Amino acid sequence: MKFRIFRSAEDQTGAGAADPTESVRMGGQVLPEATSSKAASAVEARLEDATPVSGPTVVATPPTGPIKIAARDVSVFYDGKQALYDVSLDIPDKTVTALIGPSGCGKSTFLRTMNRMNDTIAGCKVTGRIAMDDEDINDRSIDPVLLRARVGMVFQRPNPFPKSIYENVAYGPKIHGLVSAKSEMDGVVESALKRAGLWEEVADRLQSSAMGLSGGQQQRLVIARAIAVNPEVILMDEPCSALDPIATARIEELIDELRERFCIVIVTHSMAQAARVSQRTAFFHMGRLVETGDTEDIFQNPRERRTLDYITGRFG
Amino acid sequence: MIWIYLLILTALSAAAFLGGRELARRRAVGAHPHSRPGQHGAYALIWVAAPALLVLILLSVFAAPLERQLTAAGTPDVVAELEHFRRDAFFADAHRVGRGEPALQIWERPLAEQLPVEARRMVRIERTLQWGGGAAAILAAILGGLFALTQIKPQTRARNRVEGWIYGALFICSAIAVLTTLGIIASLAFDSFRFFQKVPIFDFLFGAQWSPQIAIRADQVGSTGAFGAVPLFVGTMLIMSIAMCVAAPIGLLSAIYLSEYASRTTRAVIKPLLEILAGVPTVVYGFFAALTVGPILRVFFNEIGLFLMGGPLDGLGQYLALVQNQMALTAGAVMGIMLIPFVSSLSDDILNAVPQSLRDGSFAMGATKSETVKRVLLPAALPGIAGALLLAVSRAIGETMIVTMAAGLAANLTFNPLDTVTTVTVQIVTLLTGDQEFNSAKTLSAFGLGLTLFMVTLVLNIIAHRIVQTYREQYD
Repeated sequence: MKFRIFRSAEDQTGAGAADPTESVRMGGQVLPEATSSKAASAVEARLEDATPVSGPTVVATPPTGPIKIAARDVSVFYDGKQALYDVSLDIPDKTVTALIGPSGCGKSTFLRTMNRMNDTIAGCKVTGRIAMDDEDINDRSIDPVLLRARVGMVFQRPNPFPKSIYENVAYGPKIHGLVSAKSEMDGVVESALKRAGLWEEVADRLQSSAMGLSGGQQQRLVIARAIAVNPEVILMDEPCSALDPIATARIEELIDELRERFCIVIVTHSMAQAARVSQRTAFFHMGRLVETGDTEDIFQNPRERRTLDYITGRFG
Repeated sequence: MIWIYLLILTALSAAAFLGGRELARRRAVGAHPHSRPGQHGAYALIWVAAPALLVLILLSVFAAPLERQLTAAGTPDVVAELEHFRRDAFFADAHRVGRGEPALQIWERPLAEQLPVEARRMVRIERTLQWGGGAAAILAAILGGLFALTQIKPQTRARNRVEGWIYGALFICSAIAVLTTLGIIASLAFDSFRFFQKVPIFDFLFGAQWSPQIAIRADQVGSTGAFGAVPLFVGTMLIMSIAMCVAAPIGLLSAIYLSEYASRTTRAVIKPLLEILAGVPTVVYGFFAALTVGPILRVFFNEIGLFLMGGPLDGLGQYLALVQNQMALTAGAVMGIMLIPFVSSLSDDILNAVPQSLRDGSFAMGATKSETVKRVLLPAALPGIAGALLLAVSRAIGETMIVTMAAGLAANLTFNPLDTVTTVTVQIVTLLTGDQEFNSAKTLSAFGLGLTLFMVTLVLNIIAHRIVQTYREQYD
């Protein structure tokens, strides 16, 4: 029995609709109670003899393809209080990796270790090793400012600067001195906006304030701002949580397109979104990494009881 | 005496509250009362206390003039025929004798006989007024209480009525502040109008000479007075500009340090210290200016002057060697120091109001702290900071004590920071301190200056608050 929450050919043709365990779709969201209890109990029965209910062991299937970021035993402390416990995770390149889990499980904290944004929080300490292309990003020789030029970030709420649309996109190239001529900058801004799928909508008002855009447009502008400096990795912290379903769908399409060029890590609360946009999924719970693997596996054959409970909506 | 009445009234009010509550409880039996007994009690209390307090307030306002009227009305001709100020002195002495104290003056024959008589009469009048007023207050309390008792019924909306009274009381309290401001404006406007009848407003606003001395006697040496306020305005602007040149950069940069760079512990130490500095009385800054900064600056410039004298810049040297303690630079610099905590505290609040998400966004782009401050925070906070600086300007214009002590009194029309200048506020102080004749143009000119000052600072404050307000709304 499968959890039918993937976009597949069957969904498009409607062939899967006859299946009585087909999950109900509404506005792109999977309703938690939609997953059939019969199906769940079948998996539960298998789980009960397979793995203990909780424990430090992490169920992990290694990704195929080159690894971009390798985290080993990463722990994070806020003022001495531990928020993340010994997380080890491989993040492959040119792939979307989703970090899921209930609120406060440490997934955003883990995301912020990858561009050292935790450095900006007073009283925050990170231990363990995070290697990007086999280079420890917490090493003394690494300048966090330069690291962040290689690892872009998109936040939960759109946060364009109170400047013009053009200035927003040109911000990164300007502070990193990537371009010198005005015409060159125009080209960079245009291509970044095009890649973010925003060019058509703002081409005729580049000089007007970014604050006048809609929430979804602002979020795509922020993505354009991030990709304007040609990063290698893009971190997204619940990028759609402040957006309506239509704007969400556009961002998801965009993420799918960006996958070809960037390594993308996305934190999301929506399991349906994780299922739609990601190829790899990591499930966090209580500050620990519980299970990681190919998205399809995680959602269809969770090997940990907590993963099953979470993706079927028992908690979180 | 009034304390006894207040005590009685407090007791009556307490009784009204307890009685009203108890009565409401009894009358509510078997019915569905609208309000709870405590609210009925509060309503009864209000009806006891409010009328009595009103009577007492009226009494305290009108008792003294009434007493004077009554005393003057019954006085014998010998006293009534006295000169105005002598009669007042006589009544004052009668008052003292009535209270058993010795008279201040020795009065001649017919008056000396009248003194004890008048004293007894005054004591009588005073007693009558006090007893009568007190009795009226208690009567008002009792009448109010009786009315409240008739109102204690299950269907009375005591809760809403009490709320209404509270609304009224709060409204009156806030109205007092507004009305006082209006009163100040009215008195300023009235006296300024009298001034502008003597001196044309155009001469006042655009005249280049300020010399408010007027010859009192015809043969006195002195000018007839010149009321051109431009030197004062220029002096005020000069000192304000110097102060802002000191306060704006230092205040702003320390605000940036506090809000963006300082660690939590540093901030916890420096911020309260700055706020204490803001509470130092300006007269202390005045001291500092007049006794420390002034002499240091004078010696500094005098030394330069002595060095330059005889050389190619002899003229400049001659001038610098004669620079005085009191100069615009001293007052301006110290006023700037006074304004630093004001500017930095306001700017710090404004920088903190910029959402953290903008900082995160900028850091995540690989910007350093100073790039974030320069390219994101300051542009975002600019309107608010402009508002804060305008508020500082308005304080600098209105500041009095430092300039009085450190800037001098000579109304020079100059932009030279080493000259003594005088400001609007200093002139108001000198015009209105000491014995003054309240009908001369000299004294009245203070009101003209005051009105101008008031208008300028009012407009500045309105603009500044408007700017800060719209800026805050932007991020709410």
